[in-house]
Amino acid sequence: MSKEIFYWQALNQALDAEMSKDDTVFILGEDVGLYGGSYRVTEGLHAKYGDWRVRDTPISEGSFTGLGVGAAMVEMRPIVEIMTINFSLLALDAITNMATKVPFMSSGQFPMPLVIRMPGGVAKQLAAQHSQRLEQTLMNIPGVRIAVPATPQDAWWQTRQAIRSNEAIIILEHELLYFSKGILDKTAPAPPMHRAMIRREGRNLTIISYSRMSLLAEQAATQLADEGIDAEVIDLRSLNPIDWDRCVASVEKTHRLLIVEEDSLFAGAGAEIAATLGERCFYSLDAPISRHAGLDLPTPYNGKLEAASIPTVTSIKQAARALTQTENAK
Amino acid sequence: MDRSRLLAMLHDMLLARKFEERAAEEYTKGNIAGFLHLYPGEEAVAAGVMHASEPGDYIVSTYREHVHALIRGIEPKRIMAELFGRKDGCSGGMGGSMHLFDRARRFMGGYAIVGETYPVSLGIAYAIAMRELPEAVICFFGDGAVNQGTFHESLNMAALWRLPILFVCENNHYQIGTEIHRHSAVAEVYKRACGYRIPSRRVDGMDVLAVHQAATAALEQIRAGTGPQFLEMETYRFRGHSMADPGNYRPSVEVKAHQQDDPLLVAIEETLPYYPSSEEIQAAGHDVIKQLSDHMNNEGHLDQAGFDSVAKQIDDIIEDAVQFALNSPDPTMQDAWDALYCNRGEEVLI
Amino acid sequence: MKRTPVTMPVLSDTMETGHLVRWLKKPGDPVKKGDVLAEVESDKAIMDVEAFQDGYLSGPLAPEDSDVPVREVIAYISDEKPGPDSQSADETPAMEKTPAQDSDSQADDQSVDKSRDQSTNKTNVDAPQRTQESESESESGSEPESDSEQESEKVSVSANADAQAQTQKQTQSTDSISQAKASPYARGLAMELGVPLNQVAPSADGVIHANNVLSAALQGPAPNLDAGPAWKLHAFTPMRRSVAEHMQQAGKTPTFHVSARLSLELLAKQSKQQKHSFTLLLAQAAAQTIKEMPLFNAAYTPLGLAYRNQIDIGIAMDIPGGLVTPVLRDVAGRSLDELEQSWRALKQKAKQQRLLKEDYQGGTFYISNLGMFPLVDNFDAIVPLGSAAILAIAALQDGKASVTLSADHRVVYGADCARFLEKLNDKILGFN
Repeated sequence: MSKEIFYWQALNQALDAEMSKDDTVFILGEDVGLYGGSYRVTEGLHAKYGDWRVRDTPISEGSFTGLGVGAAMVEMRPIVEIMTINFSLLALDAITNMATKVPFMSSGQFPMPLVIRMPGGVAKQLAAQHSQRLEQTLMNIPGVRIAVPATPQDAWWQTRQAIRSNEAIIILEHELLYFSKGILDKTAPAPPMHRAMIRREGRNLTIISYSRMSLLAEQAATQLADEGIDAEVIDLRSLNPIDWDRCVASVEKTHRLLIVEEDSLFAGAGAEIAATLGERCFYSLDAPISRHAGLDLPTPYNGKLEAASIPTVTSIKQAARALTQTENAK
Repeated sequence: MDRSRLLAMLHDMLLARKFEERAAEEYTKGNIAGFLHLYPGEEAVAAGVMHASEPGDYIVSTYREHVHALIRGIEPKRIMAELFGRKDGCSGGMGGSMHLFDRARRFMGGYAIVGETYPVSLGIAYAIAMRELPEAVICFFGDGAVNQGTFHESLNMAALWRLPILFVCENNHYQIGTEIHRHSAVAEVYKRACGYRIPSRRVDGMDVLAVHQAATAALEQIRAGTGPQFLEMETYRFRGHSMADPGNYRPSVEVKAHQQDDPLLVAIEETLPYYPSSEEIQAAGHDVIKQLSDHMNNEGHLDQAGFDSVAKQIDDIIEDAVQFALNSPDPTMQDAWDALYCNRGEEVLI
Repeated sequence: MKRTPVTMPVLSDTMETGHLVRWLKKPGDPVKKGDVLAEVESDKAIMDVEAFQDGYLSGPLAPEDSDVPVREVIAYISDEKPGPDSQSADETPAMEKTPAQDSDSQADDQSVDKSRDQSTNKTNVDAPQRTQESESESESGSEPESDSEQESEKVSVSANADAQAQTQKQTQSTDSISQAKASPYARGLAMELGVPLNQVAPSADGVIHANNVLSAALQGPAPNLDAGPAWKLHAFTPMRRSVAEHMQQAGKTPTFHVSARLSLELLAKQSKQQKHSFTLLLAQAAAQTIKEMPLFNAAYTPLGLAYRNQIDIGIAMDIPGGLVTPVLRDVAGRSLDELEQSWRALKQKAKQQRLLKEDYQGGTFYISNLGMFPLVDNFDAIVPLGSAAILAIAALQDGKASVTLSADHRVVYGADCARFLEKLNDKILGFN
């Protein structure tokens, strides 16, 4: 039974499904309860599950994220919603110093079934403080798993998998995806949570991307096909761990790699992807790995500048052409 | 208070004192590395509070937590092995001095980032409240930690949701080298909790009986579901902040520090581990252990011979602990990976 | 004395190096803004390097007949007449990078910016469409790479062992040929296929990619010159390289030939009387024929035949240093006078090597005329990609000439060609 729904609805239904099955699951965050969540993700859950399981918190990211750590240590399954990734900087101590450190430093004495959800990315003119990506900051914390669902189907699968896992998991949502639509088939079997998906098969180059950018990459690839450029598009779905084997297999097939990320170029997620695939695929590469990323610039408020600061379908196509046409140009 | 409780507290305090003295010695021998924060002087707080706790309560402590762990009942040899970084340590050699854990004893860890104990306690207490259990969380922190944002965030939430937490401030008047009047606008820490409508009071932290009485009363109410309480324990440490800190804590230290603005001298001193002699300890004022043993002597609970026999017993325990630690193997790198992925189970990720 | 650098101009979106053909001024010559200082050959055409200010040309000058990356300094303009000291510096070529180039290489790192800002139109650089005729044709004309001692040294490599004694200058130019960068994948492929990398021509970006190796492998082995006498390598001029590559591609077309002897005497007479070019009249006759047989205006594509709605005829021209095929547009739809005017303009441009892309791209039918060589009594030509056929005309003998239609058998067949030649004959005679 599959139907088209909004991304936020898929998240909402995933939360509801897990909460109804397991009463150790609880949600906390700013405006998640009575208000229903600033992006409607927790709509209706407070009415159904009450104060204790859908907890409105004060604006105290550092402490309520740490609360999640403490609760997970005693076998609760907290889902912390941080309103946007930008505020997670205030919670980095809990994420970095506590969530994976407690199980590790205790030599494995404590479970950590903690889920931290937060949206990020460049939305519509929210200015520099509210438009950050920060994937790279979170990727550098050993042991923190990061899922980046791009579609309602993945949002449904990965949220439920994250809640059931006993490890600390961050789900990076994207503000511009909440109101995007897609097919949700609740009966379809879920692939492993961190497996990359090949969204489009192709022969001329591999485009590796994630989250909203993977949708743009897919659109770009469809248009590139009309020009005779046959791009394979991989949606990573996860930034830690990364499904390297699928990436390697694709690059070994196409011999060219374009990485598309909304994150800033310098030391961004793409840098890690380029470095690892550079090591693993060196002898298969027919051109230098190319990264197409956001500018190393705080996001400007001005709408035109904002749009020009991150990859677009058009710019992805240009980057793909530049990468594939080195050999044709003569 | 009955004799056996008093005797047990004396035993624990003496054990704590001798354990820390030995740790300092082992540090200078190179068997213990990293940061080592010692507790002498403050034993009455740990002993008084731990003897008021029940097995169902949870302890969340700081990086100066060896004694909390010891009195909570973690075997001295497993703590010593942890200080040595060995596989048989209570954290498997992955945590070290600042990160002792023992899930079975609900010892929820030593946290080395100042201000982390509040949110962890909050989470555990939230779970207790949701499950409506008669349990409490004892949250330790120092006077230096009360200016951290999480203090205010967490006290607010604890009060708002009436979470079962006993906040215990070990006020030794120093944030490393900064005296409390130089780091806090309000030096009476307990007054801060009043801002969140949390019942709070100041206790003489050098008097183990007073500490025990206050903690017992507070914990009984907390377990009954009346919400959090706050105790400020006035105490002081004999030693510097850590082994790297010469830490003369008496008022003259500030004068001396001002005299010794020469950074070279300070740097040289900081490299030398320092432990005060018993004369220096006595000169510092009232010693909690002497106070309790005098009290028991006066009450007729214990004579000098009895005290000596307890002390001898403890010396043996400590010697055993050191031998155990020395004989314990190093953990392997595989142990480290296992620790990181301890919660993965059969989960397939990719 | 103030010296302003003169740099290798960027003359097209794809140009990475320019071939400095010759200097038109000497060091010390006074120059005025707008004066032409030198000629540069890009992958498209020969262009002028103009002075952007008044002053005196001063060295060091980049050597003639050398390839220079764009934006590199090739000379200076000084505000005073340079003394004899700076003259002596002319011996060494200037190869400094200008600030502009540095900033550009930075921009390269920011591939995002670059790809976003630059026009997307990184075209498949169509080099001039040129037809290849007989060997003698391409060898004709005065070659720029004449065998003067000095010139051959710059671009030569000797296979014999004594070569090691050669100057450093030679080694450098050897490097540029044999040590092109290769992608890791191309390297592996080359090793697997046994293709020596130094025999693989790189792509436009100067890098050997996998497809360069593959095409080298498909071409078969390079000749083993070491077995013969000592040899010297003359690097391709851009024009020669372009012709070679297009012929390589066109070589895959399944081609056949149909010849006929046509009476062209009347056409020749008419050309003299009306003062119209013979070739032009021939082109017009061909265009009239094609108009009735649109199949000859079609091109093979993998998806089907592409019929074009206008007849554009490319006409091979012998020029110094090579061969070009200016395209005469809409030959069937325009008057003879109009065509004559266009044709003169094209010829003029071609002789000066000033043809632009729009002048030589996209012919739908081709003509190659060797009628000016009386000894040639028959030849055939190679069908350029994008056309169905090419018409080769040999010298007039006894009023008749051998005319050969070479055609792509995927588009037209033998009988089509026979009919075409018959119709063409009618048209030619119809001019009477």
